Amino acid sequence: MDSLINIFKKITYKKLLYYIFMIICFVGSLIFVNNNYSFYERTIAQVITTNLEEEVEISDRHNNEDRLFTQHIIAEVKNGPKKGDQIHLTNEYSLSGAYDQEYHVGNEFFVLIDKDSEKKAKLTGSITDVKRDKVLVLVTWIFIFTLLLVGKRQGMLAIISLVINAVLLSFALDIYVNTFNVNLLLICGISIILFTMISLLLVNGFNEKSYAAIVATLLGTFLSLIITYLVFVLTSERGLRYEEMQFLTRPPQLVFMAGLLIGSLGAVMDVAITMSSSIFSLYEKNHNISVKALKASGMEIGKDIMGTMTNILFFAYISGSIPMMIIYLKNASTLSFTFSMNLSLELARALAGGIGIVLTIPIGVYISIYFVNRKRTRS
Amino acid sequence: MNVLVTLSIILFLLMIMIGGKKGARSFIALFLNFSVLVLTIFFMLDPNADPVVITLIACAAISCISLFYINEVNIKTTTAFISSIITVIILLLFIVIVTKKAMIQGFSEEESEELSIYSLYIGVDLVKIGTSVIIMSTIGAITDIAISITSPMREIFHHNPTISRKSLFMSGLSIGKDILGTSANTLFFAFFGGYMGLLIWFKDLSYSTGAIVNSKVFSAEMITILCAGIGVALTIPISSGITAYLLVKGREKSKET
Repeated sequence: MDSLINIFKKITYKKLLYYIFMIICFVGSLIFVNNNYSFYERTIAQVITTNLEEEVEISDRHNNEDRLFTQHIIAEVKNGPKKGDQIHLTNEYSLSGAYDQEYHVGNEFFVLIDKDSEKKAKLTGSITDVKRDKVLVLVTWIFIFTLLLVGKRQGMLAIISLVINAVLLSFALDIYVNTFNVNLLLICGISIILFTMISLLLVNGFNEKSYAAIVATLLGTFLSLIITYLVFVLTSERGLRYEEMQFLTRPPQLVFMAGLLIGSLGAVMDVAITMSSSIFSLYEKNHNISVKALKASGMEIGKDIMGTMTNILFFAYISGSIPMMIIYLKNASTLSFTFSMNLSLELARALAGGIGIVLTIPIGVYISIYFVNRKRTRS
Repeated sequence: MNVLVTLSIILFLLMIMIGGKKGARSFIALFLNFSVLVLTIFFMLDPNADPVVITLIACAAISCISLFYINEVNIKTTTAFISSIITVIILLLFIVIVTKKAMIQGFSEEESEELSIYSLYIGVDLVKIGTSVIIMSTIGAITDIAISITSPMREIFHHNPTISRKSLFMSGLSIGKDILGTSANTLFFAFFGGYMGLLIWFKDLSYSTGAIVNSKVFSAEMITILCAGIGVALTIPISSGITAYLLVKGREKSKET
């Protein structure tokens, strides 16, 4: 009992206010996504009953076996002029569910009401898309709470830096899309400088450690961009297939380069800050440490993180192509065709990112030593 | 010469120049991990196999390569391995539910043009494949955090052999907090970079906010980013807990004998 009172005593007024604010945000957003039907222009319906009408086994020309189901759904219209009415829908879905899925009671989706059924007694229509905002908001809150519980202040900073960077990126892309004749790489270059400064200063504060990391990150990123660009020019992009970006109405090469630049930035920043904090902490422990010793330990730490960092990027990029490759292979595409169509861009991204990571290790060591030496001569 | 071959050669040379023997091993590990990924895809083609189980085995193999091959088998890497696997299992259970509820499996209309010539009734459960995509894109980060926590915790234990289980756990948490931000950032930017094309596409079509939020592509990407963040954060208490438990248990055992 005493310990419980102690816990309450420890909670300061400011903290209490913070907890209340979080709970209000949490409850408020949940109430909002559960009652936001009137904010949508598209018609939304919620499933009341479902009835399985038909089940057929099918097999395609490559002998893949699947099952097709036909489901009759009665749903209640949630917004618009027909609000409160019942609508009858049929839904076809397969076991694999590439584009389709089974609906259960309580699911919500956007529907298109058939024009000629509007005057009849029985309203019919078709399902266009699922309403996903509820799940998205819930997962976002689980994310926020996990990061705050585990990381406390650092978790908060990670969330803030994610939000700021996302907003910044969205803003930069707005400029690119709305301005005629502006170079995407230039915009990304400026964004990268801002991303780096915001992320590193926010998490590590204004000090020499962060400045060294910022300089190392920018040098490492731009050097790896130059190398990748040269390789692209010299090999005339042989082996790269841009088909998976075909929905874009813009030059895919540029967009790919910009993505490559931004994609490796996080990993490069991670390496740069690891190098500079370890070199600075070695200097803090022993002010008379020689440059040679600093360099040797710096490189030793770099060797340790090189493998895992390249791994992180590799899996973050490649995994996304798994479903598409399964479709290709299930349709009897050859292995080399499947790989070159789906993996060439991802592999190029992962390799270029890896080059950035490895280059940042010596750059980080030398820049940090430069900053340490400057500090040493001043004191 | 081919772009990929040239880039691989440059990466390999740089890794050897800077990392020496360990650099060469890191490059080979990358290659081995790629082979594991390819094998995983082949096993997933079998409609009777459960993709979630295959993913779990693949994750175990990948952590083995990243931890035991690049480093070596010792108490640090073993605890990091156990921690990674437990995190993956917990995360898998969570993500299976989320992908099912959000209905983000399979492909979106944006990708339909490319797929129009293919049969999509392939008999493989794409909800589970979707789950494994999210887990596999985070596995690199999970093993990285696990080893970054267990290895300094082992040092702390070494220097203070009488440390209590609780304070060892707390020191693990505080190490974790410091790397949380940068590790999360690494993944976030990787995903931002990968989604660049789609982001520009959304901007070009000037979709309404409601349409973007509910669309399959956007939700799938957001959920991937969020689950990756959750995974990174969850690894910290799990690794600290397991390392503290195992190290103190080892001390008690050696006392008894």
